[in-house]
Amino acid sequence: MIEFRDLEVTYPNGVKALKGIDLTIPKGQFVVIVGLSGAGKSTLIRAVNHLVPPSKGEVRIDGRSVSKATGRDLRRIRSKIGMIFQTFNLVKRSSVLRNVLAGRLGHTSAIRGLLGLFTKRDLALAHDSLRRVGIPEKAWQRADALSGGQQQRVGIARALAQQPEVMLADEPVASLDPPTSHAVMSDLKRISREDGITTLVNLHFIDMAREYADRIVGMRDGVIVFDGTPDEATDQAFEDIYGRPIDVEKDLRGAA
Amino acid sequence: MRPDPAALPSTVPERPRGQRMVASSTLAVFLVLFFVSTWQTGFSLSDLWIGTGDFFRFFGRLVPDLSYLPEVWAPILETLQIAYLGTLFGTSLALPLLFLASANTSTDRVTLAVARTVLTVLRSIPDLLYAALLAPILAIGPLPGVVALSLFSMAVLAKLGSETVEAVDPGPMEALRASGAGRNRVIVYAVVPQVAATMTSFVLYIFEINVRASVIIGLVGAGGIGEQLLARLNFFAYGDVSMIIVVIFVLVLAIDALSVWARSRLI
Amino acid sequence: MPAASTPHAPPAPPAAVRRANLARAGLVALILLLAVLTLVTLDLPPLERIVRGLRNNAVPLLRGFIRPNWHVAPLALSSMAETFFMAVIGTTIGGVLAFPLSFLAAGNLLGGTRYAVPGKTILVAIRTFPEILLAIIFVAATGPGPTAGIMAMGIHSIGFLGKIFADVIEGIDPGPNEAIRATGGGSLQVFLWSVVPQVLPEFASNLLYRFEINLRAATVLGLVGAGGIGLPLIQRLQFRRWSEVSMLLLVIVAFVIVVDAISGRIRRRLV
Repeated sequence: MIEFRDLEVTYPNGVKALKGIDLTIPKGQFVVIVGLSGAGKSTLIRAVNHLVPPSKGEVRIDGRSVSKATGRDLRRIRSKIGMIFQTFNLVKRSSVLRNVLAGRLGHTSAIRGLLGLFTKRDLALAHDSLRRVGIPEKAWQRADALSGGQQQRVGIARALAQQPEVMLADEPVASLDPPTSHAVMSDLKRISREDGITTLVNLHFIDMAREYADRIVGMRDGVIVFDGTPDEATDQAFEDIYGRPIDVEKDLRGAA
Repeated sequence: MRPDPAALPSTVPERPRGQRMVASSTLAVFLVLFFVSTWQTGFSLSDLWIGTGDFFRFFGRLVPDLSYLPEVWAPILETLQIAYLGTLFGTSLALPLLFLASANTSTDRVTLAVARTVLTVLRSIPDLLYAALLAPILAIGPLPGVVALSLFSMAVLAKLGSETVEAVDPGPMEALRASGAGRNRVIVYAVVPQVAATMTSFVLYIFEINVRASVIIGLVGAGGIGEQLLARLNFFAYGDVSMIIVVIFVLVLAIDALSVWARSRLI
Repeated sequence: MPAASTPHAPPAPPAAVRRANLARAGLVALILLLAVLTLVTLDLPPLERIVRGLRNNAVPLLRGFIRPNWHVAPLALSSMAETFFMAVIGTTIGGVLAFPLSFLAAGNLLGGTRYAVPGKTILVAIRTFPEILLAIIFVAATGPGPTAGIMAMGIHSIGFLGKIFADVIEGIDPGPNEAIRATGGGSLQVFLWSVVPQVLPEFASNLLYRFEINLRAATVLGLVGAGGIGLPLIQRLQFRRWSEVSMLLLVIVAFVIVVDAISGRIRRRLV
């Protein structure tokens, strides 16, 4: 369970990205966060694993505060949180397998990690993760030899290898074409369901939000302006989130 | 409503005329400095002419004495060994240092500043000077040479390396940090793969420099063929001297070619 | 709870990967083997001699280094100034002479890369010859003093700068050349109005870089009698006058750092 308690984030340049967020997300829920660029979606997600420190308030996971954790405790908490990125953030020159194994680093001892001596179980988990995202045969190819959709799958596999309880996805499909985006989103949803992982996804596109989310949270200017089921997320509600009328012709897919 | 193209910010790169101004003025300043320097040192262009004449006259005396060749191999081997160890130790020492001196992989701001300062100071001392400094302390022989080259290699490699590391894609680093990996593991998995090829190319370059350097550190008593050269020079045995010079020349040429070939295979 | 409780056994890597891993392991083993061999065969003095040398010298050295002798400061500054001037003259000579030579080593100006081969070979030959050897020869030929050092630096710089200049020339955009020819310009116009403006910034930048290197080299050439701060330095080194050595080193390091900083800033504006 993830709790945001009166969370405020102000960046060093003075920008107030989050202005008081209170939110509770039950275990296993698939939440999609929507809003314009600059609404605070990225900041919200990054506060969960403390990549962004809060200026006020805190984030708690299963009762333990993430915002106040430091050093080894923080790393332990992070090892249970998987994250995937818009730009995939893979090590291009390394093999797919090595990229996925890097997800195990939070769980391996320092020496094993540094020398690259992963256990058989680590290797098995890595291969298994690749199988679950559908690209087991790519294990020994260089990461940059794969297509965009496949690279994002490697990113998901890396997060999966952590055996996470929480998954964070920051605009995971923004760099992919629509059919690939749908494939990746459905993979994400399926895995989240199979393993009961609490998932937070940032998205731009309304149609995807409606299609995959258990719950939609709309943000605007650092506050939550909508919180409900996809059924409740009418076009009118989205207009409130985006602060302007949605033209059926010029769907936000183009404007994002 | 289409935006007015004239009002858009310019995407044309800065006009090269600014660069040319800087270039021309730099060269002009250099020319001025040149005249100041000749006035101060008493150097004149006629010296250049006379010097070149003397040089070629002297060169005529330098006929290599082939019978001396067998005596050259052992010192040459020692020279190569000094260069090899200097490169090896220098690289090993440089690795932790360069990550501490790079803004994106250092532990804290104080360590970063200290590491960078140390590097700047160490880099401003030429390798031969290190050898000259260490020779009286560490006794005659190859040891001061190895230590001197190690220190110099460490400094140069750490500077080159830290520039490369700071230019690395930060994305994978963020991803691994987010998954709970500690600083060292983040470096090994997210930074090292990105810089490995370039770093190896640097190491080969350093080896090239070290071979040249170890050839001459013998002149200050730090082992290798340089000592032999000095000895023969003091005996005015110019035949031997020029034989040594020829061998040195061929050696450096060979190592340079090898290094260039190996580096081209890396990129 | 995660569903993947009993993962299957991991598959083995394909043959190509295993070969690559083996090759890498072999390389590491070779490097270590060479290191061990080298250490064993190198004529290193016995440990007690090293320790004795350290003990006898390290303490006075450190003591001297912490307290640089300000009495030699004027000498340090004046000889470092001489070193500086030597480097300026050497670099300038090198740059001036390298400029025409580089055009003889640039394939695109001569009409083909093979015509550049003799030029490039000469430059490589000059560059490969260790600078300090050149200095020794000059000292033997023209007598000790800064002239020998200047000549050595000048000639060596020709080799270095000649190659870099040639590379720069070969890397220029052929577009402006064509443009000038299209307006009816001959080879000289192409040269003056297309080639020269394009290469000027990089020339200047490399000249400055070479100056940085030459300044360091000049401090060292004095060790063999070719002028500059090297001579007073080696004299005091041989007599182990550590506090004076420390002062001289301080001046050297300070000069080099300042020159590097200024040169670095200008070079950033150039490229």
